[in-house]
Amino acid sequence: MIPIEYWLVFSSLLFVIGAYGVLTRRNAIVVLMCIEIMLNAANINLVMFSSYHSTLHTTVDSTGQVFALFSIAIAAAEVAVGLAIILSVYRRYQTVDVDKINILRW
Amino acid sequence: MLEYAWLIPVFPFAAFILIALLPKRTLWWEDGAVYAIGGALGAMCLSFLVVWDVVMGDTLIDGSQRFEWLVVGDFSVTFGIWIDQLSAVMLVVVSVVGTLVVFYSGGYMHGEGETRRRYYAEIMLFISVMYGLVIADNYLLMFIFWELVGLCSYLLIGFWYERPSAASAAKRAFIVTRVGDIMFMAGIIILFKYVGSLDFADLFSGAGVAAVPSDMMILATALIFGGAIGKSAQFPLHEWLPDAMEGPTTVSALIHAATMVKAGVYLTARSYPLLVQAPESLLFVAAIGGITALVAATAALAQNDIKRVLAYSTISQLGYMTLGLGAGGYLVIHADSAAGYSAATFHLMNHAFFKALLFLCAGSVIHAVGTNDMRQMGGLGKVMKITSLTMLIGSLAIAGMPPLSGFWSKDEVLAAVWHAGEFDPAFMMLWVMGIATAFLTAFYMFRMWFMTFAGEPRSDYHAHESPRIMTVPLMILAGLAVVSGFALFIGDGFKAFMEGSIDGLLAGAGHESVFDVAVEIFTDPLTYLTLALAIVGIVLAWRMYYVPGFDRSVFAKGFNGKLQRALENRWYISKFYDDFAIKVVYAASLVADAFDRHVIDGIVNGFAYLGGNMGQVLRRLQNGNVQRYTGLIVVGICLLLILVLYVLPWGGW
Repeated sequence: MIPIEYWLVFSSLLFVIGAYGVLTRRNAIVVLMCIEIMLNAANINLVMFSSYHSTLHTTVDSTGQVFALFSIAIAAAEVAVGLAIILSVYRRYQTVDVDKINILRW
Repeated sequence: MLEYAWLIPVFPFAAFILIALLPKRTLWWEDGAVYAIGGALGAMCLSFLVVWDVVMGDTLIDGSQRFEWLVVGDFSVTFGIWIDQLSAVMLVVVSVVGTLVVFYSGGYMHGEGETRRRYYAEIMLFISVMYGLVIADNYLLMFIFWELVGLCSYLLIGFWYERPSAASAAKRAFIVTRVGDIMFMAGIIILFKYVGSLDFADLFSGAGVAAVPSDMMILATALIFGGAIGKSAQFPLHEWLPDAMEGPTTVSALIHAATMVKAGVYLTARSYPLLVQAPESLLFVAAIGGITALVAATAALAQNDIKRVLAYSTISQLGYMTLGLGAGGYLVIHADSAAGYSAATFHLMNHAFFKALLFLCAGSVIHAVGTNDMRQMGGLGKVMKITSLTMLIGSLAIAGMPPLSGFWSKDEVLAAVWHAGEFDPAFMMLWVMGIATAFLTAFYMFRMWFMTFAGEPRSDYHAHESPRIMTVPLMILAGLAVVSGFALFIGDGFKAFMEGSIDGLLAGAGHESVFDVAVEIFTDPLTYLTLALAIVGIVLAWRMYYVPGFDRSVFAKGFNGKLQRALENRWYISKFYDDFAIKVVYAASLVADAFDRHVIDGIVNGFAYLGGNMGQVLRRLQNGNVQRYTGLIVVGICLLLILVLYVLPWGGW
């Protein structure tokens, strides 16, 4: 069994990589992909802690697993909405560069 | 009958409601005078029954007639009835003068048309609250009625409000008396702080008096007397009363001569159990009274308006009463004698009758001639026989001619002041002011009488005697002015009667018999001194204003005419107030204006400016770049995490 620290380091790295991407990439599609990476880092945490919890108490508790499944389903819906927004933004401005889409300001 | 005393103010109040609310058709004769007369008569009959009980030795001072008005937790404000000898005297005055004035108004206000409805309603309200004032059993209730009579006074002085002078006189009366009212309120607040109750029964008991520290007692009593200074037009707040003559003469007679202005004297007399604990306040009371008597009497010398002469005379006589009360307090303390107290209340009653008479006579004259200016009268004695005769009786009474009422009471007051001089030499000086006032009073009253009724007409008027409804009240009042002085000798005498009202303060001194009182008056050389001065005053007035060919400019030229001008301008006191208001208050307003404009507005505008500028700077953060926002969120969360995980545990939380 893989020690829990490994998983924690792995999911943290995944989250940080995703956050870095969200903050630095200009392409809105890549930003959306990075958000997915962050989301999956959280999913990994949910599954991992669920498993760890069961091992610790020698029971079978799949609440965390079910949460992860919910999260994935919601992520799918979120991607659909996000892509739709990006598509309409592209139609309006002929670009998906988030630096250029800054009309909502002072 | 005493348990029905609370009904006395109800009669006039009902009349007030009826006159104010009934449809116009049902007001009948003189726009509501019927209801007014009914209300006044009902209250008078009940008052007489109550007073009869008091004369028979019954009083209602045990708080058995009391009900709760306001309950807050375990604290309650109660209203009740307090009837003793002092209330009885006031009841007599208010009921008799009130009723006669209402009758007289039926003739005097005849030409006023529909505004009479307002007049009768206001007069009835006044009579009602005046009754309330004299039967109230605590300072709070008394203060409420005190303010209400002030309100009625304001309304009635300003009865002809379309005249600017009447409107401003009403305002002046209201504002000046308010100065005194605030002092009165401050005084009763101090009493409440120490005693925890404003009921007379609690305050005047030994425990109530003992609860107030002596320096606070001086302050409280002086402040309560401050209320009297305002209401009874004492120096230096007396200038509103001559101006109040802008109202109808009936109002002057009822409110500004016989009843409301007596409320201050009544208040001072009522507060006697407290005042005798503070001799300093008593001296203050007496000094104010003496100064008022003299200042007002001198100012009356040079007035040409018949009502203003009477107004100053009223102020001067009120000064007598206050002087008598101040001196009487010393007599209570040092001599166990109620002489000053009874003299002042006796003068209060007598003065109410003869001053109401004088005012109503003046009203009759004004009604006939159509002017207040005595320089345009003269010779009226021939056409107005009843008026001139009754006014002569009133003038003789106020001048102190025996056996008219003014002689007895004025003599009693002066004797009390003289007697008090044994205990404090200051009273000797006040006594000198008192007899000087007696001389001046006789002089200016007969100056007025001669100028009005004697000699030849000085203008083209068509005067005639007033109708019966006006002359009958004059005759009744003249009768009272003659006989009310003999109250001193009826039964046990007025003195013994009034002693009943403050017997708790007297160490059981035996009553003086009626015979002793009479002997005392007639064997005292001072009586004859006062009388001689008054006669000299009358003769001087006769010489100067009746005998033709007298060169009055001799007096006018004295002190280069400065004295004459000072008197005509009422010692410049009124002018001083005007200047004070204009210069000082205006300067203060300029400062306040500048402060408001620059400091207050500066602060408010400064905050607005600060907000605007900060917005200008901070809005740069809102640049529309979502990634910048996200970055700030991440940084913020990191900072929060550092705070929660490292800084706070390190600090011990």
